[in-house]
Amino acid sequence: MPEKTTAFKVRDILFLIMTVLPIVCGIVIRVLFVPSSDGIEISGAHIFFNMDFPVSPLIISEAQVNSWLVMISLLFLCLYLTNGIKENIHTKRQVIAEWIVETVEKLVKDNMGDYFTGFAPFVAAIMALSAFSSLMSLTGMFPPTSDLNIVAGWAFLVFILITYYKMKCGPLHYLKSFAEPVPFLAPLNIISEVATPISMAFRHYGNILSGSVISVLIAAALQGLTHLVLGWLPGWLGEFPFLRVGIPAFLSLYFDLFSGLLQAFIFAMLTMLYIGGAFSLEDYIARKQKKIKTKSTT
Amino acid sequence: MQTLDIISVNIWQIIISLCNLVIIFLIMKKFLFKPVKDMIAKREAKVNEVLDEAKQERAEAEKTKTLWEEKMAASDEEADRIIKKAVAKAGKRSELIIGNANSKADEIVRQAKAEAELEHKAAEESIRHEIVTLSSALTGKLLEREINPDDHSELIDEFINEIGEIS
Repeated sequence: MPEKTTAFKVRDILFLIMTVLPIVCGIVIRVLFVPSSDGIEISGAHIFFNMDFPVSPLIISEAQVNSWLVMISLLFLCLYLTNGIKENIHTKRQVIAEWIVETVEKLVKDNMGDYFTGFAPFVAAIMALSAFSSLMSLTGMFPPTSDLNIVAGWAFLVFILITYYKMKCGPLHYLKSFAEPVPFLAPLNIISEVATPISMAFRHYGNILSGSVISVLIAAALQGLTHLVLGWLPGWLGEFPFLRVGIPAFLSLYFDLFSGLLQAFIFAMLTMLYIGGAFSLEDYIARKQKKIKTKSTT
Repeated sequence: MQTLDIISVNIWQIIISLCNLVIIFLIMKKFLFKPVKDMIAKREAKVNEVLDEAKQERAEAEKTKTLWEEKMAASDEEADRIIKKAVAKAGKRSELIIGNANSKADEIVRQAKAEAELEHKAAEESIRHEIVTLSSALTGKLLEREINPDDHSELIDEFINEIGEIS
């Protein structure tokens, strides 16, 4: 095993610190700027910055800031994983990096076909951003994915890609696809086309938000229950919400950890399926050949 | 501080989020997928190189092996040839030596024979001489006069020769 150089170690430590620092910063920002709420309060992201802009005001909210923090964290995590990468494996993280790359590529190939191998980084980006954003709620921060705008942005990008790949076989082909299987179903087809990104966005956003809503409700309910059962205890003992210790952690395991990862996977899966389904390689090749033929005749 | 509504749609926020996803895609591509894929490609190239090298070396080893085997066979033949040659040479030489020895021995024998003959002749001569002197002395005594052996030697020789022929 080759000796680790000082530069390698310094870079390692730097990347690790830079991975953790944004999360710490997020917590600090939350503590400093967001007032703590009492009781049952379910609200959207806090607004840090509001400016008049054409069409609609430019708002920098907690969701935006948190997603930027996640991005910085991910950037340095990537740098950390690929730090000192070599042909002969000599670090554990290299195995992890290779596993991530190979797994995502295999997933993309299986779901979308060989033509879309270049989509692996995109799918990995969706999964990482979605999963880490959702997992932010574990630290007590506002998870960006429980803001509709964030997820809508991703879904809109996916919609653009779907339309782009449908257009690749020709605009006429794209328009014709709405009249299938029978022309009078065209309105339904258009609705289903528009519904795709909306359903994706609302599915993801709704799952994460409902998790935090249920967490808040259960916390409040447990407080009420403690008051009902142990309210007779004297002094502060009667006030202290004993049942809130520990129990919400198990619920958080499902609502934050499991649900967050599952939604990230579902979103990535749907992205792959929709984009993969939007494009048929045979039609594309047929169109190209036709083009070449018409070119050669003229 | 203000908060957003639970369901609020803001076009700029959507665009910012869209750009965020694009940026994170570029980050993933450049800082995670590219290094790993480059490294995998490099590793593949290295493995292929090593395999090619091994193949080449094996072919070379096989070549040298056949070469050595040929050489071994050739050397066996050559050894045979050399031995045969040496044996032939030695045979020729021994024949030569034996021939020489034989001829030398013959010469020695011949010389010895010649010498013996010469000696024999000398002895004969001396005996004859003695007989001449003896007979001359004898005849001188018989004739009571001194005979000059030189004068009568011819006569005596004739006599002796006659004796020799008779004997």
